[in-house]
Amino acid sequence: MSYLLVVATTVVIYAVLSVGLNIAVGYAGQPHLAQGAFLGIGAYMVAVFSTRYELSFWVSMLIAIAVTAASGLLLGVISLRLRDDFLAIVTIGVNFVVVAIFQYVPWFGGATGVYAIPLPSIGGQQFGNGEFLILGLVMLAIAVAVSGYLARSWLGLGLASLRDDELASASSGTPVAPFKITAFVVSAAIAGMAGALYAPFLSAVTPTSFGFTESIVMLAMVMFGGVGTIRGAILGAVVLGALPEIFRFVSDYRLLIFGGILVLVLRFQPQGIIGTDSAAAGWWSRFRRPGHSADDDGSGGGAGPYGAVGAAGGSLPGPVDAPGAGSAGE
Amino acid sequence: MFPALVDGITVGALYALLALGPSLVYGLLRVLDIANAAALVLGAYIGVTLFQHGLPWWLGALAGMAGSVILGLLLQRFLYRPLLDQGPLVVLVASIGVFIAMEEAFRLIWKPYPRQFPVTVPLPHGTIAGTPVTGVQVLMLILGVVVLLGSWWVLGHTRLGFTWRATAQDRETARAMGVNVNRVVAGIFAAGYALAALAGVLFAIRYNTVTPDMGDVPAYKMLAIIVLGGLGNPMGTILAAFVIGLAESIVNTYWGFILPRDTIAFLVLIAILLIRPAGLLPKGLTRA
Amino acid sequence: MNRARAGRMVAVAAVALMGISVVAACGSSGTTSGNQPSSGSSASGGSGGGAGASGGTIKIGFFSPQSGIEASDGKSALDAAQLAVKDINANGGLDGKQIELVQYDDGSDPKQAVSIATKLTTQDKVAAVVSGSYSDQTLAGASIFQRAGVPMLAAYAVNPGIPGTGDAIFQIATSGPVEGKAGAVALTKDLGAKKIAIVAIDNDFGNALVKGFKDEAGTLGATVLSTSMNQFGEKDFGPVIDKAVAAGADGFYLVEYAAEGQQFLTAFRQRNLTQKIVGTEGIDSTQQFIEPNGKLADGMVFTTVLNRDSTDPKTQAFLKNFAAAYSHAPDMVGATTYDAFMVLQAASKSGTSASDLKTGITNLSNFQGVTGTIEKFTNRVSVHPVDLEVFKDGTVHHYGVVDDPNVINP
Repeated sequence: MSYLLVVATTVVIYAVLSVGLNIAVGYAGQPHLAQGAFLGIGAYMVAVFSTRYELSFWVSMLIAIAVTAASGLLLGVISLRLRDDFLAIVTIGVNFVVVAIFQYVPWFGGATGVYAIPLPSIGGQQFGNGEFLILGLVMLAIAVAVSGYLARSWLGLGLASLRDDELASASSGTPVAPFKITAFVVSAAIAGMAGALYAPFLSAVTPTSFGFTESIVMLAMVMFGGVGTIRGAILGAVVLGALPEIFRFVSDYRLLIFGGILVLVLRFQPQGIIGTDSAAAGWWSRFRRPGHSADDDGSGGGAGPYGAVGAAGGSLPGPVDAPGAGSAGE
Repeated sequence: MFPALVDGITVGALYALLALGPSLVYGLLRVLDIANAAALVLGAYIGVTLFQHGLPWWLGALAGMAGSVILGLLLQRFLYRPLLDQGPLVVLVASIGVFIAMEEAFRLIWKPYPRQFPVTVPLPHGTIAGTPVTGVQVLMLILGVVVLLGSWWVLGHTRLGFTWRATAQDRETARAMGVNVNRVVAGIFAAGYALAALAGVLFAIRYNTVTPDMGDVPAYKMLAIIVLGGLGNPMGTILAAFVIGLAESIVNTYWGFILPRDTIAFLVLIAILLIRPAGLLPKGLTRA
Repeated sequence: MNRARAGRMVAVAAVALMGISVVAACGSSGTTSGNQPSSGSSASGGSGGGAGASGGTIKIGFFSPQSGIEASDGKSALDAAQLAVKDINANGGLDGKQIELVQYDDGSDPKQAVSIATKLTTQDKVAAVVSGSYSDQTLAGASIFQRAGVPMLAAYAVNPGIPGTGDAIFQIATSGPVEGKAGAVALTKDLGAKKIAIVAIDNDFGNALVKGFKDEAGTLGATVLSTSMNQFGEKDFGPVIDKAVAAGADGFYLVEYAAEGQQFLTAFRQRNLTQKIVGTEGIDSTQQFIEPNGKLADGMVFTTVLNRDSTDPKTQAFLKNFAAAYSHAPDMVGATTYDAFMVLQAASKSGTSASDLKTGITNLSNFQGVTGTIEKFTNRVSVHPVDLEVFKDGTVHHYGVVDDPNVINP
């Protein structure tokens, strides 16, 4: 039982991270390969503040969220100046820079890292495996709520049009800059929240626990499930997050299987398993309303010029693809 | 100064060999292909395996290049081409998936332990200013120059280069003008993977080691170099490869290990992109 | 409206899938001890629970990286663990009980260590655990074993946070600062170097050794001219060597692993230098360094725990049996992993429950293992003389020993 709780907690932490990442990648259409770095910043904040400064977990968590949000702001500002592939590479670089900061700035504990991170407690009661999972689920609920709110609200509309055609949406008066920045900030803050839980979950953090590989795994989760949808981000986290445990019986081959599954899914279901234009969503949609093709479920569209569905259902008749049409149709 | 230059240029030549293929591919298809770095490892492993079975190293290198060409052709035909309409992020992540799976496959096939590639390249070598320069470094220098001049000439002055440029500029128009775009793409992949495999063999000989993860650092660095050179600009890529190679070795020589090399490369990259958002040599400037 | 509901339904389906996959994870991973042939048949009942010490068997947990970038050391460790279990079982087991090894691959990933540690403590209900893994995974597992009161022995990870976790967590490998001090003794006293350049890997291992080295070198009156900390995968040591030589260094302290050590020594040999070098157990890897590159290191002395020329029959038997089973000689990772199990056997004299074993390890004194004598555990870190080995014609031989109590007591 405890084992299941721990595996579920791992999966839920990943789900929080990928739901957060989906805001930047799916809603805003920004290439973002640095979510692992933000996870690291969040985890390190809690690690340092709850050990060296002996602050409570909850206060440390608020600091973690604030600091990651500020870091997200920085990346958001950078994103205004760079587009597409240039931004993609810069976000890759962010991983290396952040890991180097952890390692070279003594405040972060250097190469040895920070250990003996205390368990969170609530009302004097220390966290057990169950509490970790519950807090993880609460965080997931928050991430989903924020995400859903962004998708539905004016911001969602703005981001959707931004994603589909930045130029058009800028010229039609949509304030592009605040949208993009908001997407990066919220995405990072959610990663910081997940990182806050991750630190005491691992009980120790070292620079090597974070970085590019983790960022790739999270982006892979979003792509696997389906870019631009909350359900896709969660499914990706569930499947890819649990994969190492599910395939434990083939020990040595697990990483091979991870890479292989990722490639096969992207090859044959490039919109993700349950993404907007995926076969599963289409099947479900036909089942619900025969004769109507899968389009949008209100939680955001396919993706933008840099997203999964570059030609946003290129086979569909033209007008449907007009900027913002998908969401506006709601 | 001289040793730093030699080292920087030889390393830069390796980076150029590795990055040229993905840069040409980007120019054509607007996608980044990380799996190219897997060709580097595959080439090195095929090369070292044949070498250990008694074949001369250059024959191993050729076989490694052939094997990598097959990999490149298969990937572009059965993975990338069907994904081209799905946007660049899908292709990027799919290529990362290929890279992860292949690295683990190398580990399973060839075991995680390092293999040695003890080859003395029969070229003039010696000690310059107290620093040894080996035959393989001389070979890398020569190849670096050959690749630099060769690419410039091929891209600017041959029919092949013209076809590449026409296709890179506008795939549809090129197709309408009778260019077999699929063939051009396949050819570019074949060439790119062959060069990466060559880089892998040279790298393995230079450092006398082949490991399953030897492609990791080159993979990220290759991306940084392609972007720095101005995406889709092969001459810019080659220039950026030498700039990064030289910058690394000069920093290493004069300041020691002040920061991880990758961090230096990416800090330089981020700084340059913030000043020049389209890279060192934006497209168009150097198109011959 | 409909579409929103469709979305919600799919989300529900996703959550249901989550449940299924987690259950699948549980069901399928019960067979993972299959890597150990002797326990393969009983593995299907492995998750059935029951006290670790029940009946004629006792479950001992083990985790190591078998996939991912750390797999090469993980394989050395697992080989040694399986040999140790075979030897112990042939030799009366733990207080008469046969060991059933429950082993998992941590995939070079600390997250997996968390679930493995939970599985070992709550499902497999092991009596004790040996970590054959790196610091990240060992640290992540340690706090869970500590909370469960299950003693854990870290075979070769040296992050100071590991023994710092609590009273159930022990470190078999030499304390980092102690090994650093022993290196300083070897380089300054035995080899006579007075002006030293340090070249070290920038991780917890490298930093711990460098700290100890600097302290002791200062005490011994040697000067540390420079300290260069490099990353994993560094290949170009030429400039660092040139600078140190130009500054007048007569000795190098080299805290590197196999790959980086090879590149350093290649550059060193190319320059025909005569400076003395003292290395560390980081390069004490048979397949990664000694067999392929031993010749590069001729004349280099290094600090480790395994005396290859030991006349102790235990050590000789280990060297022989390991080579017979795996067709290559064991290395430091293998030796300390093997000894971790032997420590468990020695500690089982007064009982085999988790708390008995914990007490047994805590009170251990003058334990004779294949890595020599572990005098005791101080703050749960093993205290033992540091062995000095030297490379001669590409093979490793005994050079000396550092057993000054002022040096080897942390």
